[in-house]
Formats: sequence, structure tokens, C-alpha cells
Amino acid sequence: MLNIAVMKVGVVSCSGEELPGGTVSRLACRQVLDGLRPHETVTICLPLFIAGGEEERRFAATFPTITVDGCEKRCAQRGTEKLSGKPAKSLVVTEILAQRGLALPTRRRNLDEGDRAGVLAVAEEIAKAVDEVLGS
Amino acid sequence: MEGFLEYAHDKFLFRVKEGYRYSRDDFWADIQGDVAVVGIADFLQKARGDVAFLETAAPGLTVTAGQEAGKVETIKATFGILCPVAGTIIEVNPALEASPFLINEDPYGRGWVYKVRLGEGDRGEALLAADAYLKLMIEKVLAEAAQR
Amino acid sequence: MSTGRKSVVLLPCSGIGKVYGAVARETAYEVVERVRPGVTALTCLPLLVVEDAEALSLVKGNPVIAIDGCQKECANKSLEAHGVQAARHLHAIDFYKSHKDLKPEGVAELNETGRRLAALAAEEIASLVDECLAKGGAPC
Repeated sequence: MLNIAVMKVGVVSCSGEELPGGTVSRLACRQVLDGLRPHETVTICLPLFIAGGEEERRFAATFPTITVDGCEKRCAQRGTEKLSGKPAKSLVVTEILAQRGLALPTRRRNLDEGDRAGVLAVAEEIAKAVDEVLGS
Repeated sequence: MEGFLEYAHDKFLFRVKEGYRYSRDDFWADIQGDVAVVGIADFLQKARGDVAFLETAAPGLTVTAGQEAGKVETIKATFGILCPVAGTIIEVNPALEASPFLINEDPYGRGWVYKVRLGEGDRGEALLAADAYLKLMIEKVLAEAAQR
Repeated sequence: MSTGRKSVVLLPCSGIGKVYGAVARETAYEVVERVRPGVTALTCLPLLVVEDAEALSLVKGNPVIAIDGCQKECANKSLEAHGVQAARHLHAIDFYKSHKDLKPEGVAELNETGRRLAALAAEEIASLVDECLAKGGAPC
């Protein structure tokens, strides 16, 4: 197999639907993937990763990963540890928002301006984590 | 049985089936005597996304190499099926009517699109061999990635 | 969710990379929050995979409508991996096929057309929910 290896980071979002933290995680990850660090990151779809997605697993086995969880159950972190090893960094939305003094949204969709400030804060932390992983 | 040439970019693994021939538009042809089985190359189906609708040409249609014979609509784009060889379509893959996603799932096997009885003098010589197509495909992958 | 009373569980695929994952998710929200509130519930697919006791109990004790965003069928496969057969298994792409005038866009968040598609799909799923509830949790 030919592979021109460019160092990138796989971002694994919990993307859970049940809680607003999942929404924040998902939106923040997309902001990083599409805007803040588009050339340095790749999305790993957690359900596909867990269900045996060949591409997801191959990437995670070769490149560093950052997990972003919406709540303390840490499904993304636990799933990644189980299937490909310890992530380079593990972030939790509720912890980041608490550190920044921001409230967790109360809704799972139709986020308002205040909620989106929280999304941006999480996205910035993810971008910082990407820089640290790539720099180390 | 021939295998695949592979190129990994990020998490994506792009495959080129050895033994097939390829157009520069990313369609493949498996030449078997005077009949070619044709389909959509892995790079193109990955680049365009999951197939939602497929509009195929009817058997009996005579095509020139590169002529559009049908359309594929994915969530990202609609593109023409550009038959890589000249000849007459003799069969359309019946499985695609119920399962157009076979084009995504198994682009070089169960996702074949047409069988074409080759026209006079066309045995796919103008098409690229697998290793030459791999090089072209890599250029396209890198070009698409650079556009992000 | 009330104890002793069945709810129908909506399980979207949680996919993050494709628009149909977003359609699956938005449709599930529409069913649970607007179309059939009180008799439906949501759970996160990743919770099943990490074998969260509460999530497993929910899907094992109630009929489940799985909505997958692509042919990898992660939601349905995860249910099957835990010995659960979905009462109904839907594909979000089929919602679009039935409403070709509503082409959804957006991966993280759906555009207006996508939200309308999800709302329509949810209305159609409502009858499946009613069927499941009428059968008291038996396969519907």
C-alpha cells in the first residue's frame, strides 16, 4: 500500500443524542475540522469506529487521537481506549465549560447565542489540544 | 485472482483493482473478450458520496467512449456515467435498482453498472492500466484535499 | 419515562461525517420532542457500545426504532450485537428518496430543507410508534 504520511490528528466526538453535551461536542468538533484546523484533523465517526469501520480503525491505529465527550460517561474515550489504545488527549465538554464559567445548554438542538459561545470555547480547547499533540 | 493497488490518505483507503482498465474520468472496464463490464472507480464513488438515485441507460444503446449513459445522484452531487468504452450496452446490473448503494459498497464487484459489447476495434487500449491510473488518482486525491 | 409502561426508543446512528447522520438525529428529536413526546425516548448509540447498564436496559425492555445514516448500519448492528432486534430499522436516505424535493444539506447542523425533511419523516414514523405501542412491546 502506498501511503504518503502527513501527520494528522483523529478527532473522535461522542456525538451522543441524549444530552446537550453531545450536541456541543459534535458542533465543536466540526468547527475544528471545517474551520480552525482543517488540514491537521480528520473526523473519526465513533459509531463506525466501534462497529468495525476499517478506515476509522486503521487511522486510529496509526495516528494520534483526541476524544471529545459530552458527559462524564466518556464513551468516546472508553471506546477509543478499548479499540485502539489511549487517546493522546481526552476532553470533556462539561469540564471545559465549567473551567470557563459557561453554562451547559439546556437544549439538545436549536442552540442560542449563549450556547454557541460554549461551542466556540470547546472548539478552541480542541484546537489547542491538536496543536499540542502535533507539536509534541 | 488479482488484488488491489491501494493508496491511503488520512483515514481513506482508495483502491484500484488490478487487471481492470480505467478512463481518466474515473470509470473502469473489465475487458472479457468482446464484452466489457464497466463501473465507477473507488475514488469517484468515495469523492461523490452515497448513491441516492441512479438513472441508467437501457440495453441496446450504442455509445462512444466517454459518452454519458445515465446519471448518478448522490447527496453531494449529480454526475454522468461516462462509459469508458465504445459499443452497445447489452445488460444493466439488475441489482442496482433495489440496491444502488452497491456502487459504494463494492464498486469493482457487485456494483458493476453495464455490460457492453465492444465496438469494432475498441479493446480498451486507450484506457489506463491500473498502475497508471493509480498515479492519476493520487493526483486527484491530493488536489481535492488541497481545496479544503 | 414512566415505570411499568412501555415507551418506544428511537436510536439514531450518531454519525458525524454524513448529512444522513444529521437527518437521522434530527428526525429522532422531532419524534421524541414534538410528534410523540411522553411515549418515546432517546438513547445514545455509544452508550450501548460501552455497555452502559441503563441504556442496555432501555433497549432490551422496550421496542426500538433504529434509524441509520448510511449502509454501514451502525445503530442496527450495535443492537444486534447485544441480542436486540429492532422493531423497525429505517434508513435516513429513504426519507430523502420519498421526498426528493427536500434535499438536506449540512453535516453538523441541517439546513432548513433538511429540517423540513426530518419533520416530515417524523410524522411518518409516528404511525410506526403507535403501532409499536398498540402491540405492547411485541414486534411491530
